Amino acid sequence: MSINSVGYRGWSERLVSPWISSWSIARTGLLLVLRRKLFWILLGFALLNFLFMFALIYLKAQLSAQNPAIEQFVDRILTSVTGTGDSYRNFMFLQGTVTMLMLAFAGEVLVGSDFQRGGLTFYLSRRISRRHYALGKLLGIGLLVSLTTTIPAVILFIEYGAMTDSFTYLSENWRILVGILGYGTIMAVVLSLVLFAMAAWLQKTVPLVMAWAALFVLLPVLGGILRRVQDDRHWLLIMLWRNLRLLGSWCFGSVDSGGETELIGWAGCIVVLVCAASVAAIIPRLRAVRVVQ
Amino acid sequence: MASLFQLENLTHYYGRHCALDNVNLDIAPGTIGLVGQNGAGKSTLMQILLGLNQPTQGVARLFGKDVRQAGVELRGRVGFMPERSALIPGLHGVEYVALAGELSGMPRREAMRRAHESLSYLGLEEARYRKLEQYSVGMQQRVKLAATLVHDPDLLLLDEPTAGLDPDGRNKMLSLIHGLASRPDKSLVLSSHLLGDIERVCHTTIILDAGRVIGVGQMDDLRSARPSCYTVRWKGEADGFLNGLRTVGVELESVNEASAQATLPEGKTTQVFFALAHRHRLSLTALEPEEESLEAVYHRLINRQEDVQSTRSDQAMPVEQEAAS
Repeated sequence: MSINSVGYRGWSERLVSPWISSWSIARTGLLLVLRRKLFWILLGFALLNFLFMFALIYLKAQLSAQNPAIEQFVDRILTSVTGTGDSYRNFMFLQGTVTMLMLAFAGEVLVGSDFQRGGLTFYLSRRISRRHYALGKLLGIGLLVSLTTTIPAVILFIEYGAMTDSFTYLSENWRILVGILGYGTIMAVVLSLVLFAMAAWLQKTVPLVMAWAALFVLLPVLGGILRRVQDDRHWLLIMLWRNLRLLGSWCFGSVDSGGETELIGWAGCIVVLVCAASVAAIIPRLRAVRVVQ
Repeated sequence: MASLFQLENLTHYYGRHCALDNVNLDIAPGTIGLVGQNGAGKSTLMQILLGLNQPTQGVARLFGKDVRQAGVELRGRVGFMPERSALIPGLHGVEYVALAGELSGMPRREAMRRAHESLSYLGLEEARYRKLEQYSVGMQQRVKLAATLVHDPDLLLLDEPTAGLDPDGRNKMLSLIHGLASRPDKSLVLSSHLLGDIERVCHTTIILDAGRVIGVGQMDDLRSARPSCYTVRWKGEADGFLNGLRTVGVELESVNEASAQATLPEGKTTQVFFALAHRHRLSLTALEPEEESLEAVYHRLINRQEDVQSTRSDQAMPVEQEAAS
């Protein structure tokens, strides 16, 4: 069948900016992840905690409304829904644990398969540069992280305000919202860079999960042992996840007194170093790609 | 006519390996075939034209623009169909093609509409909601072609588009490409090992060998440069006639009882056939000039290049020996 015989139609309209293509890449990445049943199961786990918190806030509001005298009693019982920065930070930290599990499995779908199966050839031969591609992929991973951490936390914050003192709570606790967004952004940026770098090199799920586990399980165990043996709190800094939590606490303005204040600067430096190392690992992988074999 | 692409002293090295060696070309728009063995430099040339590989030396211009500076912009005018899979498992055919459109700068809605159209053009409308990994090889090639076409590029760069296809699928793909090549104001560069594909589709051919251009021109011009080659047919006993031809330097191939392919050496004309036939009392029934295939042109040029290189190395040898001593 000749193409002319079916009436090939030309197209010549104004092209959009290549930066908009980054959003297309991110959206496609999310679509690919959400098409797999495994991720719906993990997402379900992640949402269980959110639904539990959501229900607790509602319960607390109902109990307080019916009998204001028991509000303090309820606060003592339901310590995780006090509406303070700490409760949101702890919630995001817990959510992040499931998110990490999800990311370990999503690495191949989001990034690894592009290097393995020629997807990168498809992307880079279009009207985008490597920067647009990398931004799109990072945006996709970041959105996945936000979907299970920042967005649920923001919803809980709004719910708490709406169920309790309404706008008074929201306006008086704007710092908490900044903390949620700050902690969420730090998690999204760091995790997306680390995952991109690892998936670009390891590509397949099994090595990726092993490396991910080494970074977020083995190193923390090692850090704990060394801290006890050497009696030096600085060993805790090899726990990337803990460092992110420290920075999260800083965003919420609720850094614990004592050693944590001293470590927060170091934690920031280590997180920046990890990001820089990830960028350094990503660049040669993108440059080495031969679009035409 | 403005050039499609111009290459000036284009050289590219991968480490110490020279992939392109001082290539100079000025190619007009049209259908261009890129021929060469593995490692000849075809892929590197395509990469450079796509603006994804910076040449070590020299300048490459596509549509009059330097590919170093306008790579992203130029890729918006080019549709590239890679040889390797380049699919995104998990996506449906229509999503894949629409994504290609969006990445080429089309608004989302328009990209989706064009994706449906392109898939219909290529006979994939029934399969557009199937996942890419469920496509056969032929369908994968067609969906890649649809992704190449979706933004209506001015130049199609097709790298081995018939690779892995059965004869019927190959035939259909070539028909499609032939149709695409006939679009007005559009150009096509087809890289292939299958010279028959190039011959069927392209008007201009670039023959590369070890990073050098050893032949370039219109298909007819390349063919006419060949020494005279004829099919000779006769009636009767021809042993003496054939021995006589061999004696005067005529190369004979495909010799059978009543015909042979004969290539005249330089300086000889067709008179030699008639003179020898007369001498051996043989009746010639036909003397047909033979049209050279692209494959024959390719082999002739490759052999000539090898001869030139061996002559150069022979000449260089004594100099190197002197230098060593």
